[in-house]
Amino acid sequence: MKLHISRQMIYILALAIVFLVIVFIFAFAFLIPSGKEYRVARMESKKISYQVDAVQAEYDNVYERLKGLQAENRHVVSAYKTIFNPDRFKKMHRSHFESFSLSELSGHSLDGEFAVYEVNTSSLIHSPQGFYDFLDAVNKSDNIIGVNFPIHFERDANLIKSSFTMHVYIARKKSGKEDEGEGSDK
Amino acid sequence: MRYSFIKPRKKTLISPEFKLLFFFFTITIGMLFMSYSYLKVKTLMYETTIEERLAKGETLRTNIVSMHDEIAFIEVQKQHAEGVYTSNTVLKESIHNLFDLVPEKITLSQAILKENELELYGVTPSKEVYEFLLLAPLRSIFHRSYTSYYAMPNGWYSFVSKNYLDREISTQ
Repeated sequence: MKLHISRQMIYILALAIVFLVIVFIFAFAFLIPSGKEYRVARMESKKISYQVDAVQAEYDNVYERLKGLQAENRHVVSAYKTIFNPDRFKKMHRSHFESFSLSELSGHSLDGEFAVYEVNTSSLIHSPQGFYDFLDAVNKSDNIIGVNFPIHFERDANLIKSSFTMHVYIARKKSGKEDEGEGSDK
Repeated sequence: MRYSFIKPRKKTLISPEFKLLFFFFTITIGMLFMSYSYLKVKTLMYETTIEERLAKGETLRTNIVSMHDEIAFIEVQKQHAEGVYTSNTVLKESIHNLFDLVPEKITLSQAILKENELELYGVTPSKEVYEFLLLAPLRSIFHRSYTSYYAMPNGWYSFVSKNYLDREISTQ
């Protein structure tokens, strides 16, 4: 039995083989490596996303904690930033004294994160109660103020003359994060 | 005159079989190329996402560090402020207790409070009144108490009382 293959069929078969070779070359040289790249990139992306989500969760926790602390200690935080205003201080605490005077604020020392300023105070009071009320009010004032020794009381007719020093504490560290925290990307 | 019963086939340069083959492979190559393009585009998108996520992660980490600093600073401020407030309150209580300590019979003219020292100036009807009513409680508070008396024309005594608290020296 003689197999008869026409010339045209031979051309077509040859062309088919050439096409097949092209397809295989394309598949092995480009498609499979890019498939691998894709798979690696997808896995890497998932891994990174998982890690970033964990960091985001931690960020959210820390942010909530910071905001809670800031809200809880709003008065203290702002008091450490507030510049001491002698006139305002006198106006706020004048009611506890018969007369009240403050010296110029002067730099005193550094106490860790805080700069300490000293102000000398002299006053006239009717009774020690005025001084007790003043000490209560100082703890609620716009600044962090500590009343220090020595404290000097002296009778002056029906009044008591008192003189003492106060330490005003101002935060030295610049806390820029508080402002930044408001606009952080969440 | 016809020599065949069938119609003669039109002869073309490209045969229908070749066209079919060409069409099939064109479709195949096209699909392969589309798959390749899809994979490339998706890979590129993933890489962009990875870069963005990494940058975001880095920013978040930096923010976390600065927020921790801020938290630590607020804690320090809080503790320091509580210390100052407590010190003021203790001072108030100390002065309150001091003035409560002075009996009605004794009149103070001056009081100087120092960190570990108290100086009192005043008048007392007699030394005994001073010793029983004021010196005794002062001795229970202070480690050392020294009193000087000065007789006054009306028979009363003016006194100067100096009281000291000795700081305990810690030995390590």
